[in-house]
Amino acid sequence: MTQKKIHFYPLNRVEGDLEVRIQVEDNVVSDAWSAGIMYRGFENLLIGRAVLDGLVLTPRICGICSTSHLKAAAKALDMFYNVKLPNNAIRIRNVTLMAEKIQNDFRHAFMLFMVDFTNPVYRRHSLFDEAVRRYQPLSGETTVQTIAETQKMLEIIAILGGQWPHSSFMVPGGVVCVPSSNDLTQCLFLMRNFRKWYEHRVLGCKIERWADVKSAAGLDDWLHEAESHAQSDLGFYIRFAQEAGLKEIGKSYGNFISFGSLDLPDDTKVKRPGKSSQFISPGFYHNLKLATFDQNKITEDVSHAWFDDSNGGRHPFDGDTRPYATGKESGKYSWAKAPRYDQRPAETGPLAEMVVASDPLIMDFIKNGGPSVFVRQLARLIRSAHLIPVVEQWLEETVGCNEDFYQDHRKKENGEGYGLLEAPRGALGHWVKIKDAKIQKYQIITPTAWNASPRDASGFRGPCEEAIVGTEIKDPDNPVEVDHIIRSFDPCLVCTVHSVNI
Amino acid sequence: MSLKLLWIQCGGCGGDTWSFFNAASPNVIELFNFFEIELLWHPTISMNSQNSLVSITEAVTSGACELDVLCIEGSILRGPGGTGRYDEIHGKPKKDLVASLASRARHVLAIGTCASYGGIGANTEIEATGLQFLKEEKGGFLGEAFKSGSEQPVINLPGCPCHCDVIAGALAAIVSGAQLKLDKYNTPEEWYGMMVHQGCTRNEYHEYRVEERKFGEKGCMFFHLGCHGPLVRGPCNKVLWNDRSSKTRVGVPCFGCTRPDFPQQYPFFQTRNIEGIPIELPEGISRAHYMAYKGMAAAAAPKRLKTRKTGI
Repeated sequence: MTQKKIHFYPLNRVEGDLEVRIQVEDNVVSDAWSAGIMYRGFENLLIGRAVLDGLVLTPRICGICSTSHLKAAAKALDMFYNVKLPNNAIRIRNVTLMAEKIQNDFRHAFMLFMVDFTNPVYRRHSLFDEAVRRYQPLSGETTVQTIAETQKMLEIIAILGGQWPHSSFMVPGGVVCVPSSNDLTQCLFLMRNFRKWYEHRVLGCKIERWADVKSAAGLDDWLHEAESHAQSDLGFYIRFAQEAGLKEIGKSYGNFISFGSLDLPDDTKVKRPGKSSQFISPGFYHNLKLATFDQNKITEDVSHAWFDDSNGGRHPFDGDTRPYATGKESGKYSWAKAPRYDQRPAETGPLAEMVVASDPLIMDFIKNGGPSVFVRQLARLIRSAHLIPVVEQWLEETVGCNEDFYQDHRKKENGEGYGLLEAPRGALGHWVKIKDAKIQKYQIITPTAWNASPRDASGFRGPCEEAIVGTEIKDPDNPVEVDHIIRSFDPCLVCTVHSVNI
Repeated sequence: MSLKLLWIQCGGCGGDTWSFFNAASPNVIELFNFFEIELLWHPTISMNSQNSLVSITEAVTSGACELDVLCIEGSILRGPGGTGRYDEIHGKPKKDLVASLASRARHVLAIGTCASYGGIGANTEIEATGLQFLKEEKGGFLGEAFKSGSEQPVINLPGCPCHCDVIAGALAAIVSGAQLKLDKYNTPEEWYGMMVHQGCTRNEYHEYRVEERKFGEKGCMFFHLGCHGPLVRGPCNKVLWNDRSSKTRVGVPCFGCTRPDFPQQYPFFQTRNIEGIPIELPEGISRAHYMAYKGMAAAAAPKRLKTRKTGI
């Protein structure tokens, strides 16, 4: 007879509070529920406030991606005011957003995700001792370096934006700073120093060599090509993951969404990918096909979230937030809403960005075996190889450009706008309606709302829940497989649960 | 003897934790090693699962484990209707966990404005409050009479986020047994005894009333753009952020994030004024004298400031 048991599994080492319930039958997860367990209801703070106030309040939603919220808020107001940004403003906004993404990827990888490799469950793994040496919290060799190195990215944001986290240096029309050429050169030094660390410690090779890795076979060749590759943190990750079976867990739906990000300035040497006017393309990938992205197809479902659901799933411009604490009996179980694209759940993040961009290495894994913990985390470790050279290029272009950083605009009292971009964890959107020069409605959908969403009215689980179901658990009291799957999405619950429809 | 520290995140964004990680000399790891601080639990850093928080909490509340420092980040959420259900841990309101840990701790630190005064969400549907203050009012979650094991009130370290040097410095003071001198909001004078604009590179513009009305300029932002630098206490322009700069230096107004009333109810990026002079003036200044001084200062302003020809 099968034994069915529900395990209540609160999770730390994620941003914010996440509790997952898993139902285990014969050591296999047969169902899962992921729940945001905090509600901060920003909506009353913003409704009725002045047009620019979102630039101060929304970055405070999240302590690790405040620059992303700032940029989304500023973009929504660019659209509202219909103001065209000077090229320098576009570059500075992009550089700071990318710096924030880069710091996040390594803090997540080496301080949150890889720490699970030191879980006693892996005592018999041949690389266990080395994992402890590298990733032990507060003492591991890579951990110690990560704390010091990621600070460089935040120094860049501080030079251009005053401080990290929680600045408000982006405003409709551009940025408030007027960096001197010395400020920009300092940023460039910091980036080049960071590149050195990334190449030496994380990749074990030059970014240019890494860029030649275009298939799973190519990855294998790269791993065995040099000792520095095998010993780098990326090489170690690949070796550890192989033995731990991370390619076999965390599949989920294979639906991916990217909102697109990093508008290209008019005059830049950075190459336009395909037809997109952005360096990171928007798109929705489903059934092994890429579809054009249309923000009108986004809805938020609250059938299983603690909000009044009498109005059904709605586009963010039409949605509302009425908390409805019913307890567990109503089928509602989370403070996170369930965003859907074209009625479908979709995962977002570095992996989704690379799938939508048809990255050849990533697509080889997606087409042969499908998504997994392995490829999801791989994408996060290699994303910086795409970003770093572009940050350097845009900084160089700004040093030599005497144009403005801010474009003033005409006063306006009524209208709407939205700002979409790719934050560290994926698709982030702010939607704002302005009436009589006051905020009438403000809605935010965060990356983790996509990934860690609860079920919707059609019964579709959230992508993270779906990824857990079917997983074989070796030790139900210490289900490290579930840890890996959840953390491979880099959940940020402080964002999600606060921001449900600001 | 090592110092046992427990860090709990409540109604907040995690920004104080990441601000703490901005610390460079010493960084967080070095700080813990130098001062032999034993981290019993931190939600983001600890290897231990959340279930081990349950056993740590039991050990602390039963007295089996001493708790030297309790750090609370984020506000205490009491909503809806005082139940605390908007922020739960292990199926129970997190506020109850905070209350039981605070009753056993030798020192309690409120890290950031939300933990100090309620901050974002104070007086809203989530019923957020600070540990011992709700905005300017004494009381908060633990009550006016609360004293920690060291006979001190909750030490407030406001800021959104709190600066890393303030967190590190407060821990260092506790380790060394130094008594931090507290002001009326229970913030240490060491860091909150100065105004934010002290050290701002725009001070010469401030001095001669060369004031900006639009973004992207070099002058002072106090008269029109809502800067609170001369009004609010904090060390931003002394210790600098990320060892590099500050908001006001790059042209972002100070929003007064260390103050009990943060976030303000009136619009950001605008100064409330009467006939062009800010309604709120620096502490202890007579309005008549200030108007006379600013009028003369503007008349005395040198051309290089009026034409923004300075290299800041």
